Amino acid sequence: MKISYNWLQNYFEEKLPEPEKVAEEIIFHSFEVESLDKLGTGGKIDWIFDIKVLPDRAHDCLSHFGIAKEISAIFNLKVLPSPKSGGGQDLGQGLSFSLREKARPCPKEETSLQIEIQSDKCLRYIGRIVRNIKIGKSPDWLKEKLETIGQRSINNIVDAANFVMFDLGQPIHCFDLDKLESPKIIIRNAKEGEKIITLDKKEVNLDESILLIADEKNPLVIAGIKGGIKAEVDENTKNIIIEVANFDAVSTRKTARKIGILTDAVKRYENEISPELCEQAMNEITEIIFNLAGGDVEKIVDVYPKKPEQKNVFVSVNYINKRLGTFFSKEEIENVFERLNFEYEEENGEFKILIPLSRIDITGPHDIVEDVIKILGYERIKGELPEIDWKPKTNENYLKMFFARNKLLNDGYSEVMTYSFRDKGEVEVLASASDKKFLRTNLSDGLKESLKLNQLNAPLLGINEVKIFEIGTVFKKSGEEIHIAFNNKKEIKEMNLDEFMKSADSFLNGLAGVGDPENRGPEKKIMPMKFKMWSAFPFIFRDIAVWMPEGEDPKELKKILIENGTELLIKEPYIFDSFTKEGKTSYAFRLVFQSYERTLKNEEIDEIITKISHKIKENSSWQIR
Amino acid sequence: MEKNEKKGREHPLSIVINDAVKIFTDLGFEVATGPELEDIWHNFDALNIPKDHPARDMQDTFYIKGEKDKVLRTHTSNVQIRYMENLIKSGGKPPFAIIAPGKCFRNEATDATHEMQFYQIEGLMIGENINMSHLKGILSHFYKKMLGEDIDLRFRPSFFPFTEPSIEFDLKFNGKWLEMGGAGMVHPNVLKNCGIDPEKYQGFAFGPGLERLMVIKYGMPDIRPAYQGDLRFNQF
Repeated sequence: MKISYNWLQNYFEEKLPEPEKVAEEIIFHSFEVESLDKLGTGGKIDWIFDIKVLPDRAHDCLSHFGIAKEISAIFNLKVLPSPKSGGGQDLGQGLSFSLREKARPCPKEETSLQIEIQSDKCLRYIGRIVRNIKIGKSPDWLKEKLETIGQRSINNIVDAANFVMFDLGQPIHCFDLDKLESPKIIIRNAKEGEKIITLDKKEVNLDESILLIADEKNPLVIAGIKGGIKAEVDENTKNIIIEVANFDAVSTRKTARKIGILTDAVKRYENEISPELCEQAMNEITEIIFNLAGGDVEKIVDVYPKKPEQKNVFVSVNYINKRLGTFFSKEEIENVFERLNFEYEEENGEFKILIPLSRIDITGPHDIVEDVIKILGYERIKGELPEIDWKPKTNENYLKMFFARNKLLNDGYSEVMTYSFRDKGEVEVLASASDKKFLRTNLSDGLKESLKLNQLNAPLLGINEVKIFEIGTVFKKSGEEIHIAFNNKKEIKEMNLDEFMKSADSFLNGLAGVGDPENRGPEKKIMPMKFKMWSAFPFIFRDIAVWMPEGEDPKELKKILIENGTELLIKEPYIFDSFTKEGKTSYAFRLVFQSYERTLKNEEIDEIITKISHKIKENSSWQIR
Repeated sequence: MEKNEKKGREHPLSIVINDAVKIFTDLGFEVATGPELEDIWHNFDALNIPKDHPARDMQDTFYIKGEKDKVLRTHTSNVQIRYMENLIKSGGKPPFAIIAPGKCFRNEATDATHEMQFYQIEGLMIGENINMSHLKGILSHFYKKMLGEDIDLRFRPSFFPFTEPSIEFDLKFNGKWLEMGGAGMVHPNVLKNCGIDPEKYQGFAFGPGLERLMVIKYGMPDIRPAYQGDLRFNQF
C-alpha cells in the first residue's frame, strides 16, 4: 500500500523523523517497507512508502491513519485526536487537515432518508443525504494527495470518498439521490437472474449469495465491491446519499472472487475492518464534501444491528517474559500499553486490558506478547540454546533414503533432481503457472531426459559413462510413493524405496554407519567453495593421442596441452584412454573448448590443435597417433 | 582414466539437506516426514489458516483436480501437525523437537530466486519453557555451523497464522543482510488442534527455504538449474 510521508505528517504536531528513519523503524517494528520513493522537486517534495501491511493488521492499517497509529507507538509520538485543522468548531472526530478549508456543516435535524437492512451480512449502514451540492473539479490539494498514491482524480465527490478511504481505511460510496426510485436504501440479497451494470459498464449476473444495495426496484451497488451505473454521481448530480457501511468479510471476499472484481474496497472489507470506523469516516467525508461542494447536510441514519462489545484480555509480566525469554520490567510493558493506547488496569497481579474495537486481531494474551516485542524491539531477544529432556527416535523413511543415496553414490552414481511436474500423469493440478499440469507417476521419464543431456555433456564433465540416479516422490491415483531410479547404460531401472532396500540388503549389512565420513559433517565443508555457472554456449572437443616411451609420465604432455590450449580450454585436458604396446604407451587426451561469450568456430579450434601438434612434434620421442 | 572418480557426485541440495539434518540431530532433534500431496486439514485448517480468509492467499496453492480436499503442500508445516497428532494418539506428550526437510510447492512463475517446487526445513520444539530466545539461539547455531561463525541474525515482525509472535529472520553474511525465512512461537490454536494443552506447553517453529541457503553457501546465481537433471550442477 502506498503511503505518503506528508499525508502522515498531518497526524502529528511534531515533525516526523526523516523518511528513511521512518521506513527503517516501520520495518523493524511493524511491516516490511518494499520501497521509499521521493516525489516532486523544489518546495513540493513528498516521499512515498510502499508498505506491505501484514494480513493480521490489514483490518486497521490499510490507511494513513492506521500507519500513523503505528508510527505513534514506535516513536512515542502523539497522534492528534483531531488533527491539525487550524481552529473552527470540531465536528465529532473530524480529521481535518490544514490543507482543507475550515467551514463546518451543521446537519439538519430531519431527513427523508430511509434505510432497511434485510441481511445479516450488513453489519452497519450509515447514510446521509446532502442536497444542492455543486459537482466540480477537486481542489489541487486533493488531486495532489490522490495522485501521490497513484489515484486518478474524477470529481470532487468521488475524490472525497476515495480520499477518506485511503485516509481512514473505510470504503465510501455516494449515490445520485434523484436517480433512485425513492429516498429509501434497501440492503438485501440479490434475486436469481437479477443483473447489474457496474460503473465500468460491465454486466454482472447476480444470484442469491450476493449482497446488494438497492432502491425499491433496482440494484444500485454490489455491496462492498463495486458501484452500479444506475445511481452514478455525474456532472449533473444535485442531491446525493453518502453511504458509509460495513459488510461481512467472508461473504464480501467470496462474492468478489466469484464475480472476479477486486477493488480497494474489497481489500479492506475482506480484512474485516471494524464497523466502529463508520462514524468517524462519515464525519470526515461530510466535512470534506461540505467544504468542496457545499450543500444542505441532513442528519445521518445509522442502522447498527449489533454493536460489537469490547473484550478484555488478561496478561501478566511473567507470561510475556516466559514466551519471549526476556526480562522486561512491568514499567516497560506498561509503557507499551500506553503507546498503543490500551486502557488497562491491574487485577490480581495481571493486567486487564480493554482491547480497542479496531484491534480485532487481539484475541488472547499471546497476541499481546507480539505487540510488546514489536514495540520494545526484537533485538532485545538475546538467543540461547535450549535444553530439552527427551529421546529422539530414528525416522525410518529418512534413514532409508540416506542409505540408498550413499549406496548409489558409492557405486559411482551421481545424483540428479528433476521436476515433479510433467505433461501427463494420473494426478492433475487445477491451475498452474506452467504448462505441465500433472504430477509425475515415475522418475524414469525425467531421468531419461537427464541422461540424454548429460551424455551430450560427457566430454565437458570429463566422464566416459554417465551414471545417474534420482530419489523422489511419484504420484499415482492410489497415492504417493518414494521411488528410486538409476540407469544401467541406456536402460533405466526404477523401483520403490523398499524394493531398493531389499535388493541392497547385503550391502547394507556390511555397512554400519554408512555415509562416507569424508563427505559428511558440515564443519568440513565451510567456505570457500564457490559455484561456477557454466557457459550457455556450445562446447567443442578434440582428442589427441600420443605414443610415448613406456614409463614416461604424461604430465609433460599435459603441460604442453594446457600452455597451448588458450583461454578457450574450459577445463583441464584429461586422459580418457591409455594402453601399452611394444614398449610404448598411448595416452589419449580430451580437450574441451568453450567460451562464455560466443559460439566457437571449428576453424579456430583447428588452428589451436595444429599449434599443439607442432609443439608435440618438437619432442622426437613422441608420436602423434 | 586419470581422474578416476569412482564415487558419484551428490546433488548440492542433498548436501545442504544432509548437513542441516546432521546439525539439528546433533542438537537432539528428531527427523520427521510427511506427504507432499496433503489434505486441507494438515496444510491449512489445523495450522489456524481459516477457509475464506485472506491468509490463505499468502501462498499460491496448487489444488488437485477432482479432489477437493487435496493440495500440494505449500510448506513443511503439515509435518508439525502430523507429528503432534501421532504423538498424542500414541500416548506421548511434550517435550519434543523435530526437524522436517521436504519438498513444497507454490503455483507461481519461476525466476532466478523462485521455483514451483522447493525445499523447506521445518523445525518445531515444544516444551514447558521453550521460548523465543531459544529460537534465536537454535537458528544462530544452525547458520554458524552452515556458513561459519562470522554471521549475524536478526528478527523482524511478520505474520503467519500458525505462529504468534511471528517473525521473519535475516542473516548477515559477507557484510550483507539477506532474508532467510519465517519463524515464530507456535500459535496456541495449533497446539490445541493437535490435542496439546497450550496453557502448559509452548514452543517455536521455523521453516526457512533450503535453496536460498544453498545459493548463499555456494554463491550460485540462479536456483533453476537445480531441477534440470544437469550434472554440471553437482560441483561439490
